[in-house]
Amino acid sequence: MTAVLKPTLARCLWVAPAFAALAILITVAARSIFGMTPVLQESTLLTVAYIAGGIGFIVGIGGFDYWFTWMRGGELDPNDHSQHGAHSWGDYFKFNTDHKVIGIQYIVFTFIMFLVGGMFAEVFRSELATPGQQVLTDQQYSGLISQHGVIMIFVFMVPVFAGIGNYVIPLMIGAADMAFPRLNAVSFWLLPVAAFTLLSSFMFGSFDGGWTGYPTLSEQSGYGMTLYQLGVQLAGASSIATAVNFLVTIIAMRAPGMTLFRMPLLVWANLATSALVVAATPFIAGAQFMAMFDREMGTHFFTIAGGGDTLVYQHIFWFYSHPAVYIMILPGFGIISEVIATHARKPVFGYRAVAFSSAGIAILGFAVWAHHMFASGMEPWLRVPIMLSTLLIAIPTGIKIFSWLGTMWGGVLRMTTANLFAIGFIFTFVIGGLSGVMLAVVPFDVSITNSYFIVAHFHYVLFGGSIMTIYAGFYHWFPKVTGRMYNEVVGRWHFWITFVAMNITFFPMHYQGLVGMPRRVADYAPEFAWSNMVISLAAFVLGASTLIFVYNMIHSARHGKKAGANPWGGLTLEWLLSSPPPIFNFPATPRVIGGPYRYGEEGAKHAIVPEVEPATVETTV
Amino acid sequence: MKTIKVLPLALLGTVVGIVISVILIFTRTLPVQASAEANDIDNLYIFFLGFSGIIFGIVVLFLLVAVYRFRARPNDEREGDNVHGITWLEVVWTVIPFVIVVLCAIGGLIVLRSGDVEAQARTKGQQIHVLGYQFGWKYAYLNQGIDLKDQQTLVLPVNEPVIFELESNDVIHSFWVPAWRMQMNATPGQVNEISTTPTKIGSFEIVCAYLCGVGHTNMNSALPGSIIPKVQVVSKSDFDAWIEQQKAEAAKAAESSSAETTTGSAG
Repeated sequence: MTAVLKPTLARCLWVAPAFAALAILITVAARSIFGMTPVLQESTLLTVAYIAGGIGFIVGIGGFDYWFTWMRGGELDPNDHSQHGAHSWGDYFKFNTDHKVIGIQYIVFTFIMFLVGGMFAEVFRSELATPGQQVLTDQQYSGLISQHGVIMIFVFMVPVFAGIGNYVIPLMIGAADMAFPRLNAVSFWLLPVAAFTLLSSFMFGSFDGGWTGYPTLSEQSGYGMTLYQLGVQLAGASSIATAVNFLVTIIAMRAPGMTLFRMPLLVWANLATSALVVAATPFIAGAQFMAMFDREMGTHFFTIAGGGDTLVYQHIFWFYSHPAVYIMILPGFGIISEVIATHARKPVFGYRAVAFSSAGIAILGFAVWAHHMFASGMEPWLRVPIMLSTLLIAIPTGIKIFSWLGTMWGGVLRMTTANLFAIGFIFTFVIGGLSGVMLAVVPFDVSITNSYFIVAHFHYVLFGGSIMTIYAGFYHWFPKVTGRMYNEVVGRWHFWITFVAMNITFFPMHYQGLVGMPRRVADYAPEFAWSNMVISLAAFVLGASTLIFVYNMIHSARHGKKAGANPWGGLTLEWLLSSPPPIFNFPATPRVIGGPYRYGEEGAKHAIVPEVEPATVETTV
Repeated sequence: MKTIKVLPLALLGTVVGIVISVILIFTRTLPVQASAEANDIDNLYIFFLGFSGIIFGIVVLFLLVAVYRFRARPNDEREGDNVHGITWLEVVWTVIPFVIVVLCAIGGLIVLRSGDVEAQARTKGQQIHVLGYQFGWKYAYLNQGIDLKDQQTLVLPVNEPVIFELESNDVIHSFWVPAWRMQMNATPGQVNEISTTPTKIGSFEIVCAYLCGVGHTNMNSALPGSIIPKVQVVSKSDFDAWIEQQKAEAAKAAESSSAETTTGSAG
């Protein structure tokens, strides 16, 4: 019985509905007092219920318990670590302030969302397998492709990097935790709320305007569109809070001796990404607020009849959503630097150039948004400067690719699954990068924009880029997180099937686009029949390959060979701890005495972790 | 163990890359070139394929050679070379991409500029107002003062400039004619202009490229059974004859409608 009063998911089950009910009551009362008709306006009541229910969920899980206790003058113990660290399975389903627990919560939750988003893709690929419409109606089709995009971007790819960063970054910089552990937990628990909001839109006529949600189509859609706008705001809030946390943690909590130029490159990448998130994400949140107000409150930011402007939405939307592409790839670049250096037993080639190219991409990333709008009817003069800035971004990206090749050259490459994914990533990402250069050039872009060429390009960048790096990271840190080794043979099968199926799925889309197949269509001209069949079959194999990964992770986490502290012989700080690391990370503050990639140097060390008697360390739980 | 010379490998990569480029260029299945701009844009694309193939060839060759040459043997406990970077090499691989993107920019600017110059010269062409709606296109010939009916075929004279004024009265549509390498959104609340010069007689697909609601899929003349007609490009004399016919029909329609009004008011 006490379970429903303590901060648990069980408490959410009544607190969230209670908040929603209260909000509905207040709204109904206010509407009847002020004589607004109809009093029971369905969309208004749903919106307040969702907002209040979301807050109620965070309250229920215990997000504000500490602050509430302080507010009512209750007793607080500064050394109370009862919510820190996982002592049993159940702790992963609770509000927890340990960055390692939060990291795992993020990774597992977002990966489940990846499977959900992937399922949507499999469903609409089955519609696309043959010409004509057999499986889905137009509306269902548009709903599925929109959900696929939004789920993949906002509740998988952006947050999964926050999850990997959460687990690894504090360890890498020698910190005890993130700077704001409670904010960190709240950021995570906002994600299930965002995902629920997005996915439940299916019940109310799902949003079907594409993941971009452009007005004025968004004004026509069913109530699901409002839930999309709300869901994106929630995911955005989570993402901003995490980024602030990373910034403060990386700037203020590095171990003594860890100068900026001794930071591992993943830390550099996360620093650049977090700066991007903090500066850019408010734009999409703002755009969604305005679009939601238009729908639910009768404002006229984007409605034509009220003097609004739809082009403004596109500018604000892409002012975030282009930097978002770098938010989804920069941490991946960081992972690749770690993985390749460690598994090639060689220092990262051109560390400074790689570090600064992250910063360069982050800054240039703000000056390229309008390349999504070359055919939108925007101001024509804007085309040339945006084209030039977009082309320039190829240079820091190229530096990274060549530096990774330079890192591998002369190394001793251990062909682990992690390294295979890193190498496969270079192959596929080069293709996505090159088609990106093509698309930067205005006349070419205008001739094929909104076609399958675009779909091919961004899947090469996001699947061939981001997801390959995510897999590389998962395999690389799996022994650290679980204390056990994954199965290399199964891992290799996973890599090869994913790699081959991915290329067969996405490469033919370039040709489809060039010939004239538009994106976001449920049916196509007969000439595309065989290529779509090939793509759909490959997409099913690609989906199935994910299950191999899931099997490997679950099976190895329980039955894998014991990993030991440092199975890869890494030099960065996380490898100096046991696997999995102790709940409070380091027994004493580590000292950093050199660069992070001193491979090939006799007896070289990046850092020293002093051994302190456990009794003198505050680890009272 | 023999060391591997980097420069010959780079040259070999270039050769491999050129082969890849040539294969890509010859297997390209671009739609027919039916406008004045199409050739320039396709040349731009061939240029892209050329340098892309070379970069891809070099990167992949180095990747494969590295994997083959530097892979660890079983129980191999060696460490890699303790090299943190070679400054001149890093400069080289910063400068080369820079040169390539400058070339891309120059190529892009030339094509963009010539397109813009042509567009400006097209003040005397056919002025066509295109109204996008859910789900179709409606055309009006501004020079001749002819309004076509909903979903009526757009007919244009060959080798004569045409200026499209795109508008929408509901949501964003995108007017895409792949054979002309031309696309522009029809955005509610504003008029977007784009122009081209059709250079081939025939009928070409019109595709709505922007998701515009439940009828978006079918807003594509290439679909079997689509109600969207293809654009017809005809000879100048055929076009003039067609215009006359439209005028006659419009006059007839006006007559009968005014006759209706008269009978209506008489009744």
